[in-house]
Amino acid sequence: MPLDEKFSPIRKGLLEFLVLRIVSGATVYVPDILKRLAHTEFATQEGTLYPLLSKLRREGLVDYVWQESDSGPPRKYYRLTESGRTHLAELDAYWALINQTISSLGS
Amino acid sequence: MQKVITVSLNGNAYQLDEDAYAALSAYLDQSARALAANPDSAEIIADLEQAIGEKCTRYLNPHKTVVTGAELRLIIAEMGPVDGDGAGSSASAGAQTGSAAPGAPGVSSPRRLYQISEGAVFSGVCNGIAAYGAVDVTLVRAIFVAAFLFTGGLALLAYVVLMFILPYASTSEEHAAAHGVPFNARTLVERAKEKYAQFAQGQEWRGSRAQWRSEWRRVRAEWRFERRRLRDQWRAHWRYGAAPGGPQPTPAGAPPPPGRYFAHIFSGTLMAVLGLVFAIVTIAWLLALLSLVTTGALLGWSLPQGIPFWAALIGLLLLYNAVIWPIRAMRRASYYSVGAYHGAWIEAWNGIIGLAVLIALVWYGLHHLPEVETLLDQLTHWWRANVGPSRGDWT
Repeated sequence: MPLDEKFSPIRKGLLEFLVLRIVSGATVYVPDILKRLAHTEFATQEGTLYPLLSKLRREGLVDYVWQESDSGPPRKYYRLTESGRTHLAELDAYWALINQTISSLGS
Repeated sequence: MQKVITVSLNGNAYQLDEDAYAALSAYLDQSARALAANPDSAEIIADLEQAIGEKCTRYLNPHKTVVTGAELRLIIAEMGPVDGDGAGSSASAGAQTGSAAPGAPGVSSPRRLYQISEGAVFSGVCNGIAAYGAVDVTLVRAIFVAAFLFTGGLALLAYVVLMFILPYASTSEEHAAAHGVPFNARTLVERAKEKYAQFAQGQEWRGSRAQWRSEWRRVRAEWRFERRRLRDQWRAHWRYGAAPGGPQPTPAGAPPPPGRYFAHIFSGTLMAVLGLVFAIVTIAWLLALLSLVTTGALLGWSLPQGIPFWAALIGLLLLYNAVIWPIRAMRRASYYSVGAYHGAWIEAWNGIIGLAVLIALVWYGLHHLPEVETLLDQLTHWWRANVGPSRGDWT
């Protein structure tokens, strides 16, 4: 089984965490998110990302602002909400814990 | 020439060709189905539409204002299948990006071998093979005849076997599979079937039965149109080469060029003569069939030892079709040329070649196979004995 496949459930689970991290930096447009992920192990597509963002918005972790664009209709730029920031801090802490566990096991 | 359809993607107009339109509506339909349980489905669809629109602009410039099917399929592959449960639980692997996503419609469509009885000469085996290989049926038949000549009848056996083994394509779906029809037509059919299933369960479908029927008719019409377009495209390609700017077949009903006037007269005469020949051959065949069934002998010529009755019946049937095929091809050709059909002369040529092959076959049989000579002798005898005298001085 290739590594890629072995870690696929983990990658799936982590995508939400990564998107929250990207959104926490600055307000971003969806193609920017895709570009940030494109050359990583977490490359994804609009078909996955839009439903995920919609879910995060329903949970109140992100929201968006409309920004005019010089070509075409106004665009949605996503940003982290206050509760999103709290949630991300929890996730970060938990992720640190996981890393600690991993490195403490084995030699 | 392609028809252009203007669509609104989240409030902005884009021009698509029909192929692209079919691909896009299939993708959006699929997405809407995947998001059926999602409370924000309308908003997500709008987002997807906008993303598709932005990707379309990559392919557009002041000198190219229409998005083609191939481009739109690339865009759809880039978008990826829509994640139904919205939890991000099917984030696609990195390797998948850029390649055709498995959920994208029409990446592949199954192709199966069927017999197609529409326009068949005998049973439709060659027709089915032609559809399977997307080549012209005349070519398949020519190859088959050549194979028959070279293998000494073994090809005929193969034909008969295929005739009994291969199923007939009778439903639209089977026809689609026989032609390996492109995704959009297939998807149309599938969509209609799905709608029917919803209707039958009385769940999602809010319309009436009549509404469903009209939808089904529309889908079938679209599908027929698609098939015709492909066939015409193929014919144009076959007859005039692959040059994209090459001449296209004149659509039926267009005024014929003046130079074809004499061709019309000629083909009209040819049609009448061929009709007569056709009738004579058919009557002779029916007589032979009748005599075989009633007396167990072919027009007074009893069957040789070792040839069972059924073999003689099949042989007679095959012989009839071998004789009638070139005649029928030529008649069709002259009919089309009267009806202003562009490729008629090619078909006439096919008929002439078929006739030549038949004559060569008979000649070969007369000179190299004593049985054929005997048969001919018997036929002459029978003719003299039964028909000849009543016609007076025929001999």
